[in-house]
Amino acid sequence: MKKLFLALMMAAGVAQAEDVLHIYNWNNYLAPETVKRFEASCKCRVVQDYYGAMEEMLAKLSAGAKGYDIAVPTGFAIPPLSKQNLLQGLDLAKVPNVKNINPAFMNSKFDPGNKYSLPYSFTTTLLGYNQNKLKELGVSADSWSLIFDPVILAKIKGKVTVLDDSREVFAAALMYNGFSANSTNPDELKKAQETIIKAKPYWAAFNGQSYIKELTVGNIWVAHGYSSDMFQAVADAKAAKRPFVVNYGLQKEGNTMSVDSMVVLKNAPRPDLAYKFMNFILEGKNAADLTNLIGVGNPNLAAVPFVKADIKSIPSVFPDAQVMKKLQQLNALEGKQLRELNKLWTKVKTSK
Amino acid sequence: MHSKQSKWLWAAAIFVYGFLYVPLIIVVAYSFNDSKLNAEWVGFTFKWYGLLIHNEQMLVAARNSLIIAVVTSFCATVLGTLAGLAMHKYKLRVLPILVLTPIAIPEILMGVALLIFFVMLNMTLGMVSVTLAHIAFCIGFVAIVVRSRLQGMDEALVEAARDLGATPIQAFRLVTMPLIMPGIIAGALMAFTLSIDDFVITFFTAGAGASTLPLQIYSMIRIAVTPEVNAISTLLMLLTLTLILIASKVAPSALRAK
Repeated sequence: MKKLFLALMMAAGVAQAEDVLHIYNWNNYLAPETVKRFEASCKCRVVQDYYGAMEEMLAKLSAGAKGYDIAVPTGFAIPPLSKQNLLQGLDLAKVPNVKNINPAFMNSKFDPGNKYSLPYSFTTTLLGYNQNKLKELGVSADSWSLIFDPVILAKIKGKVTVLDDSREVFAAALMYNGFSANSTNPDELKKAQETIIKAKPYWAAFNGQSYIKELTVGNIWVAHGYSSDMFQAVADAKAAKRPFVVNYGLQKEGNTMSVDSMVVLKNAPRPDLAYKFMNFILEGKNAADLTNLIGVGNPNLAAVPFVKADIKSIPSVFPDAQVMKKLQQLNALEGKQLRELNKLWTKVKTSK
Repeated sequence: MHSKQSKWLWAAAIFVYGFLYVPLIIVVAYSFNDSKLNAEWVGFTFKWYGLLIHNEQMLVAARNSLIIAVVTSFCATVLGTLAGLAMHKYKLRVLPILVLTPIAIPEILMGVALLIFFVMLNMTLGMVSVTLAHIAFCIGFVAIVVRSRLQGMDEALVEAARDLGATPIQAFRLVTMPLIMPGIIAGALMAFTLSIDDFVITFFTAGAGASTLPLQIYSMIRIAVTPEVNAISTLLMLLTLTLILIASKVAPSALRAK
């Protein structure tokens, strides 16, 4: 038994002695074929560990967890990571493929000058819908009025879900009223709150978990959610041969967008492999794999020729300059603003 | 005896057990469903189990889980048995408190505390840190089981052995040990089960490349509960149930002593 214990510990030790790149990532956020190609090119192994939420990743890294080389945080998580001195300053000279990135995604407010991060992929928050039902009812999903205007909502009462996320729901209501998604002006927020409270009786639920399934099954006709999830819902509905088509699209008043970026951790065991990986993933063909797999937006211009034609034409995946102007990233809120928003949100949640 | 009261009791029992088991049955059923949606029955298939066998991440997570559980149950059984013996023999007030605290405190506190502790020691998180954490919270469970077994043992047996010339070591090896063996085995099985199933403490103490099955499943359900998740959950349930059944056969009193 003692021998077995020793053997196991040895096995664990030996496994760490080879060339391994550790990536801390969302699940299903790196195409398996990309991993295989990278492993062949760097003669190393890629090991991924996953988190289910940004807060999780922040908690773990803040507590001082070591051993990861690369993490893939969402925009708002970059400042807290860099403030806590958990990230390495990037030497962009080691990543020649930076030239492939769409300039619109560089130099974001979360990381001015790309000191620590390089964009990896992005999703937009929009409306997914049951195309047949909306056609039948003669309503359109190209405006936020679909989930906020009681006149339109009357036709789809109880068949709408919105995200269970105060930031996202308020952003949509703010844009619907013609304000900035990041507005912290009390009057504007108040107005957005009124909009939400008026619409709430028509909604079935606040749902951030199972709306893919609800749309695909047909229980819900309109869902407020993320573009990558909607892509999944469309594919699932096709695969399950549903008697209707699920589709999704951007709203004319504007949408929020969240960009996930690659960062190299301060205590990365193998920064050399991390740089290799970043440069590799920024090659068009490799960047395209992820978009082809899960339909996320791609900040990499060189990826376009390698993306499947049916995905290429989706505006929420490859927005043109016009659409790009209407996409806003949400700021991280400071303490007081967050408390204010939470107050407004609590009232929304408890309103009848 | 079919009084009104017993009918109500039956109804309550059926309701409670239904509430506990129907969801599990649904998960098991959908793991054989030939559709990606957990919504309607399309047809029977083993496809999802086939996918699992070829899912490298799953296999690595399963391997990690098993290695951790085997090492944990071995170490926690040795240490927990010693703790159980000590708690039985020396009636110190402080001993049970020390041994049993890890059982009583919320898992999340223990997870955070262990994480901070490992970081303080400047230890790289990985398989070793998870295993140490699991051993720490399993010792108490083993100790309880072993102690309850000892309490049911007739002290006169050991005394008789000593009177007949056995050394303390011999008396333990030849008399005490065989008598409490069912408790030790039950404790080991319990430690194994707890280790395989634990999420919270593992989440905080797992490092790069040490994902276990529960962590893997958790990161997958963010997107959607796929049939693959149902399949792996079914297998995990099967394993856990089997071990619990064996444990309750070996030492029926052990599980009641909790």
